[in-house]
Amino acid sequence: MMRLAAPVQASLWTVAAFVLVLLYGPLFLAIFFSFFAFKANQVQWDSFSFAAYAKLADNQRIIDALTNTFVVGVTAVALSLVLGTLLALYYHSGRGRGRDLLQIVIYLPFLMPPILTGLSLLIFFRQIDFERSLITVVIGHTVFVLALVYRNVLARLQTISRSLIEASLDLGANRWQTFRYVLLPQLMTALLAAGILAFALSFDETLITLLVTGTKNTLPMWLWSMMRLGFTPDVNALVALVLAGTTLLCLLAARFLTKP
Amino acid sequence: MEGRVADPPLPNAMSQREIADGEERAGRAWADALVGAAAWALPTAFILVPLLLFLMLGFFEVQGTDIAYHPTLKNYARFFRDPGLLSTFLKTCWLGLKVAAITVVLGYPVAYLLASLGGRTKYVVAMFFAVPLLMSYIIKIYAIRSILGGNGFLNRILLHLGVIEEPWTFLIFNLNAVMLTLAILLVPFAILPIFVALERIPRNLLEASADLGAPPLQTFLKIILPLSLQGVVIGASFTFVLAIGDFVTPQMVGGIEGFTFGRVIYSQFGFGNNWPFGAALSVILLLPVLAAIVIADRFGRARYAT
Repeated sequence: MMRLAAPVQASLWTVAAFVLVLLYGPLFLAIFFSFFAFKANQVQWDSFSFAAYAKLADNQRIIDALTNTFVVGVTAVALSLVLGTLLALYYHSGRGRGRDLLQIVIYLPFLMPPILTGLSLLIFFRQIDFERSLITVVIGHTVFVLALVYRNVLARLQTISRSLIEASLDLGANRWQTFRYVLLPQLMTALLAAGILAFALSFDETLITLLVTGTKNTLPMWLWSMMRLGFTPDVNALVALVLAGTTLLCLLAARFLTKP
Repeated sequence: MEGRVADPPLPNAMSQREIADGEERAGRAWADALVGAAAWALPTAFILVPLLLFLMLGFFEVQGTDIAYHPTLKNYARFFRDPGLLSTFLKTCWLGLKVAAITVVLGYPVAYLLASLGGRTKYVVAMFFAVPLLMSYIIKIYAIRSILGGNGFLNRILLHLGVIEEPWTFLIFNLNAVMLTLAILLVPFAILPIFVALERIPRNLLEASADLGAPPLQTFLKIILPLSLQGVVIGASFTFVLAIGDFVTPQMVGGIEGFTFGRVIYSQFGFGNNWPFGAALSVILLLPVLAAIVIADRFGRARYAT
């Protein structure tokens, strides 16, 4: 892009700063109240403490929700990585309308509003009499993040030269060996970045989960159920920790994404 | 055929040797069909079939506590006869358009700034605008509610500064609140596609324009803006689709006044307990969604071609 004149640049920065305040203001508010108490409609400025963080470890329901969220996230990421890679390899291996159609089907849950993806799964599970549980949540999340993994892997595959694969085959490697020793190492960073992003998406997925969840709750579901009561300082502490974790994950993902 | 290296290994029945002797072509065709079927299996089972079931359900009706499986258009007729529902639908679409407009107006200058930054910095700064997308949705809405509320932080600050004398109450528990909250939540979805579109503009076009004597404003209006319109349309359709489908945000900040179509649908699967009607309403929600996707797709292709 061109160099910008100083006044233009200044006004752009003003808008950007305003948007940053909009984006991060609500988050910092939550972090703030993990350190300070709020009583009788007043901020208690002298109440700074880490007590809320210490109390986290005693709250069994938070720990349960957190565990469920991790189990769901890891499973959904593992499933979507395998499935997304296989589907990307399939799409990349040939041409035709069938493949393009399949690609649209894969993208659908990502393109539709989450309420439609969630409801169609909800109806499906009821029609086949499959009780809602963490398993249905995993399926919902996998379907949702699949498009992301697929897209990432496919984009990387398209940058890999075909002659590499031909060379591998000419030199006597079979298909599996070619995949394992030629393709996979090249796909690794794409898979890592997609995996991290998919995990972060799954960790905070709310709208689809709300529709397909059973009795066991993930973290957003638990927060949703807490809404009516208002949040206690330990919820804010938890949020602060989650935000720190998410930021760390994103920094990691960015590293893998920018490295060729 | 060289590309098929990448396929998952064939089942044993189709071993390499078998393909090699004599009937290589038939073998290949079989293998192709098998691999294709394997690739289609899971997306069909967990995406396509649920979606089709969902679309079909709207054509049945509830009788008593059960669903009667005789095709009928009653659910759709009910929607078009109910002025309340129809107006909620239109209001929700209008809300989505306003959210799309706000996010684009806020997002474009940010994307433009990002694109003008040098080298690696731009991606680092861009990440700061993207990361909030992954952060506690529920918590953000809750925090925004506590900022906008009658007794909220915004009102306290304004009262304290003497800007207003009575707390503003028009910012919470109505459609304004839903619009503002959604705009704040969704603005990164507008920034990123616009940023990508701006990044794609070849530098030499801008240099040529400057060399030929165009002042910066003219270069912006005649070259940059038209070429980045693709990103604007994609970003706007993203935020539009997500805004009209949301049901959690309106429920949390919308109160009784801020009733949106997403909430109506959601209630059919909860208290309303009329799944077929909910499914029919979802099909209606799908119409503006499809329109937005088609428009975004058209724009995307048209610009890639140039």
